[in-house]
Amino acid sequence: MKMSPFYVKAQDNMQPGIITSSGFLGDDTRPIVDIIEHDEEIMQQLGLDFEEVANRLHELMEEGRKGLGEPITYQQFLLQVYEARGFLPSPFEDGIFRKVNVNIENKKNGKTLLVSELSIHLLQQHHFLQGRGSPYRLEPEDLKGTLEL
Amino acid sequence: MTPLVNPITLFFASILTSNILLANFLGMCSFISISKDMKSANGLGLAVTVVLTITSAINWLILEYVLIPMDLLYLRFIIFIIVIAAIVQILEMIIDRVSSALYMALGIFLPLITVNCAILGVSLFLEIRNYSFLQSVIYGLGSGLGWWLAIMALAAIRKKVEKAPVPAGLKGPGITFIIIGFMAMAFIGFSGMLSVQ
Amino acid sequence: MNPVIFTAPLAIAVIGAVLAALISITDKIVNNYGDLTIDINSGKRKLEIKGGSPLLSTLAESGIFVPSACGGKGSCGACKVKVLSDIGPHLPTEPPYLTKEEMAENVRLSCQIKVKQDLEIEIPDALFNIRRFTGVVERIKDLTHDIKEVYIKLENPAEINFTAGQYGQLEIPPYEKIKGSTQRAYSMSSPPSDKDHVEFLIRLVPGGIVTTYVHQYMKEGEKIAMVGPFGDFAEQDTQSPMICVAGGSGMAPFKSILYDMDEKGPFERDVWYFFGARTKKDLFYLEEMQALEAKQERFHFIPALSEPLDEDEWKGEIGLITDVLDKYLKEIVPDADPKEGYLCGSPGMIDACVNVMTANDIGEGDIFYDKFA
Repeated sequence: MKMSPFYVKAQDNMQPGIITSSGFLGDDTRPIVDIIEHDEEIMQQLGLDFEEVANRLHELMEEGRKGLGEPITYQQFLLQVYEARGFLPSPFEDGIFRKVNVNIENKKNGKTLLVSELSIHLLQQHHFLQGRGSPYRLEPEDLKGTLEL
Repeated sequence: MTPLVNPITLFFASILTSNILLANFLGMCSFISISKDMKSANGLGLAVTVVLTITSAINWLILEYVLIPMDLLYLRFIIFIIVIAAIVQILEMIIDRVSSALYMALGIFLPLITVNCAILGVSLFLEIRNYSFLQSVIYGLGSGLGWWLAIMALAAIRKKVEKAPVPAGLKGPGITFIIIGFMAMAFIGFSGMLSVQ
Repeated sequence: MNPVIFTAPLAIAVIGAVLAALISITDKIVNNYGDLTIDINSGKRKLEIKGGSPLLSTLAESGIFVPSACGGKGSCGACKVKVLSDIGPHLPTEPPYLTKEEMAENVRLSCQIKVKQDLEIEIPDALFNIRRFTGVVERIKDLTHDIKEVYIKLENPAEINFTAGQYGQLEIPPYEKIKGSTQRAYSMSSPPSDKDHVEFLIRLVPGGIVTTYVHQYMKEGEKIAMVGPFGDFAEQDTQSPMICVAGGSGMAPFKSILYDMDEKGPFERDVWYFFGARTKKDLFYLEEMQALEAKQERFHFIPALSEPLDEDEWKGEIGLITDVLDKYLKEIVPDADPKEGYLCGSPGMIDACVNVMTANDIGEGDIFYDKFA
């Protein structure tokens, strides 16, 4: 599929060593518009709404921050926030984000998710869940399983 | 044929009436860019004078004993430039060793002398005008002092002009060129009194 | 054949060669300063060096890293060094970066002055100490499920001088997809008296390059490098009570500071150390800290669990560390003015603790932490 310059630029920014040392694409060699399209289909099949997922993740991150770096229980989740000073730019060049990660563990089923402030933004604004093999890849099945949406 | 010009006349002529900068308009780039303040202008003037004197001597020797006998006159441009570059290099090392303060004051101007047209110009005039060795050295020294004088004068004038109500479009290089024009007229105006040839 | 083809290149070559020889000879004579010595901090270290280069780079070649933000261009003024030998007046490039007092003391920009003679110079001891160390991982110990204690034996140089609370930059080799070696800063948890070792407490951060390496790839016996020591987080030279707060691997600088104070004898000031964790399995060094508390009358260790489990049978403080801190500052810690705050943890934890401390009348200038996490 032909990509617009906007996506071509974003895909360049996602390569390892541009914004983060491991990049956003993992071992995935597909063009990012294909990744986005494919994930949109799966999300739809699973009955997940991008906006709803993003809001839930935002909520869990804010709750997790209250643990001040230690794990904290919130509803059925055990949340642990990791913070580092500094900011990361979005590969779509539409904002900068704090280096905050939250590890979400569902205590009922043991499933976990690792989400960063940037990865929530990519999910919400661009429906981009990152390439397969990327450390911050959000598998739609994992989102459904962990968040129980 | 060696011209019979009196060395003393030659000396003053090369400083004043045949000023290398204002009569021949050689060495303009650094003349304009380094004349913003008196201190740098002074350092550059000194360095140009030293290099000019030494290179005119060496280039005369090479011209007389190598290029003319071997019929290689057409190589004079390239050889003169090599000589100038080497002299600047050596001078730079010596100044660095002897006086760090002077070395720092000259800074980038020192290597820049290599490509100062006035210096190559003087070496070429030696050949055109058939100067003797003594005349060459005096002409080199005189041209250097003339260059020094001219850049100091320009730097001083520019200092004054800075505060003058110059029209916006003429600020900077524009008014500088006009000033140089007036200066040139003043210097050349007396060219009948003294001559380099 | 036209002889010009030979004579022209020959003439240029000969003249060029003569000039080149002239330059090299001048260079040999003029730029030969021979072997010189630089005496740093009156005999603390003596360097045997070749003259002719700027002081900054000469020192760097000998492993003394004077900071320079501009890389020796004379435009940042960071590389100041006090020169005791007479090396002539200040160069025109120096005064813009020096105060009158510095000029009077012959403080110089080390990137601008060349080493042309034997020199005596003075640099801050801290600078003098920053080195790149190589060593061997002697022991890796699990403190909790996600914090490891890494104990490194230094080999070259074999000893380190630092003040308790400083940090080092651990350098790990490339692995898997990570090309190139990576450095991250960690506080040293070993006391400064253990000169031939450094110890770090490293908590696994998901996706973290260095922490992942330490937790999953680092082996005992492997070679490792470190640059340091850096930082000015340290016990202040006052008698004010110290209020220390940490969680997780934030334990590291306090372990070093407390052990260092302990080695110097009975504590001369009250020390309150609040340590937060979630459950008992996230607590570590509990016995060590309690032993220190038993030995040092003026040391109070307050571990607090935010979510103790039933099987923990926890009898200590319960709640977020900020709440416990607030309670102690209001009710238990005796009123003494001024108190000093010492923090080590994530930016969020530091911000939250600074708020609690300032609300309890600890001045912002009396709260100390490293401005990174």
